[in-house]
Amino acid sequence: MVEVGAKEELSGAWVILVSVVLGALLSIMPLPLDYEAWRPKWMILVLIYWAIALPHRMGLFTIWALGVFTDVLEGTLLGLNAFMFALAAYVALTLYQRLRMFTLVQQSFLVLMLVGVQQLLAFWILFMAGRNTATDFSFLYPALSSALLWPVVYVLLRSWRRGYLVT
Amino acid sequence: MLVDGRFDYLERLRYYVGVATAPVQYMANLPSLASSTTLDLFNSRSELVELREELLMQQYRLQQLDHLSAENARLNALLRSAAKVDDEVMRTQLIGESPDPFVKRILIDKGARDGVTVGLPVLDALGLMGQVVEVEPFNSWVLLITDPQHATPVELERNGVRGIAAGTRDTAQQLILNNIPNGEDVQVGDMLVTSGIGGRFPPGYPVGMVTSVRQDPSRPFADVQATPTAEISRSRNLLLVFVRERSEPVAAAPPPRENADG
Repeated sequence: MVEVGAKEELSGAWVILVSVVLGALLSIMPLPLDYEAWRPKWMILVLIYWAIALPHRMGLFTIWALGVFTDVLEGTLLGLNAFMFALAAYVALTLYQRLRMFTLVQQSFLVLMLVGVQQLLAFWILFMAGRNTATDFSFLYPALSSALLWPVVYVLLRSWRRGYLVT
Repeated sequence: MLVDGRFDYLERLRYYVGVATAPVQYMANLPSLASSTTLDLFNSRSELVELREELLMQQYRLQQLDHLSAENARLNALLRSAAKVDDEVMRTQLIGESPDPFVKRILIDKGARDGVTVGLPVLDALGLMGQVVEVEPFNSWVLLITDPQHATPVELERNGVRGIAAGTRDTAQQLILNNIPNGEDVQVGDMLVTSGIGGRFPPGYPVGMVTSVRQDPSRPFADVQATPTAEISRSRNLLLVFVRERSEPVAAAPPPRENADG
């Protein structure tokens, strides 16, 4: 049947959608001010996971578009997250075969580097744009928290992907 | 990014993506909405009594105010100066804030669909909160007066000394009064109100209270700090003020003097 092929191509698209919406929710969820600087970059974590797991479905453009979505969501400079997401996705999409072989700890280190570099670039760009940014190294906290949470996100999303047979 | 920072071309893109982000923003606000609704259920009885008493007091003050504003209008008419009209307001609710702790922006639940435009002042019950900087179809972003990108033209209520209250480059909700000369009569406890200069904010709305004044003769300007009157990080119920053109009545009335405006 014709429809089977079409269906297979979209198998479990809603799982990806739900995970992305969850990531978006978590990234704007109100937090106490003291913890706000530590908020992990949920969207990047979710998108890196899908880029590694399903590189044929999560292309650069999709991830860039979701970055634009995140920009509007967070009310930040339009294109900031899009650029950062595309950078992280490029690394993940280039190295996905190697990344799948990494242990969770090794992957966490890569997430630390990716989010760290992203935060540093964002800091520079925001500073040049005249927006208010951190005055100390607190802009790097999200890299630490993201790296610490990566194993949780990875295991959770992997169990979803396998449970719902998303290919 | 450069384009967004410097030009307005991307506002339309932001506007349309705003349709997609609105539901997520609404969902993110649901827990706090639910908790405040539940709390309201428990509080309602005792709060009702308090609110009734407060309403009575406010109505009593309003009676005097009506009389005073009528008198003020008469005097203004005598002076042929700009007629001060009551501004139109729209109630709005805070539904989110910037996830970046250094960006002092909040999200409100009124957007272009409700007639919100960039530049509208936003108040809470106690004073000026900020102004609308980005408009989406259903929501808008408000830049708070405590953000370093924001500067509010103010004057001291006591003696009319003018100044500019800017936000600070940290996470604290504080204001700094720029360019107040040393020796100027500024005291701790002075109230700052909007001066109306610049036309963005209507005059007379409370902005802040001076908390510290340091006059160092070796520096050209005094170091004056203030806290906002508005409960910047707590208020959820806000007001959007639709500022009417105030220059028209002036143009309609014959000018009192030549070159009155300089």
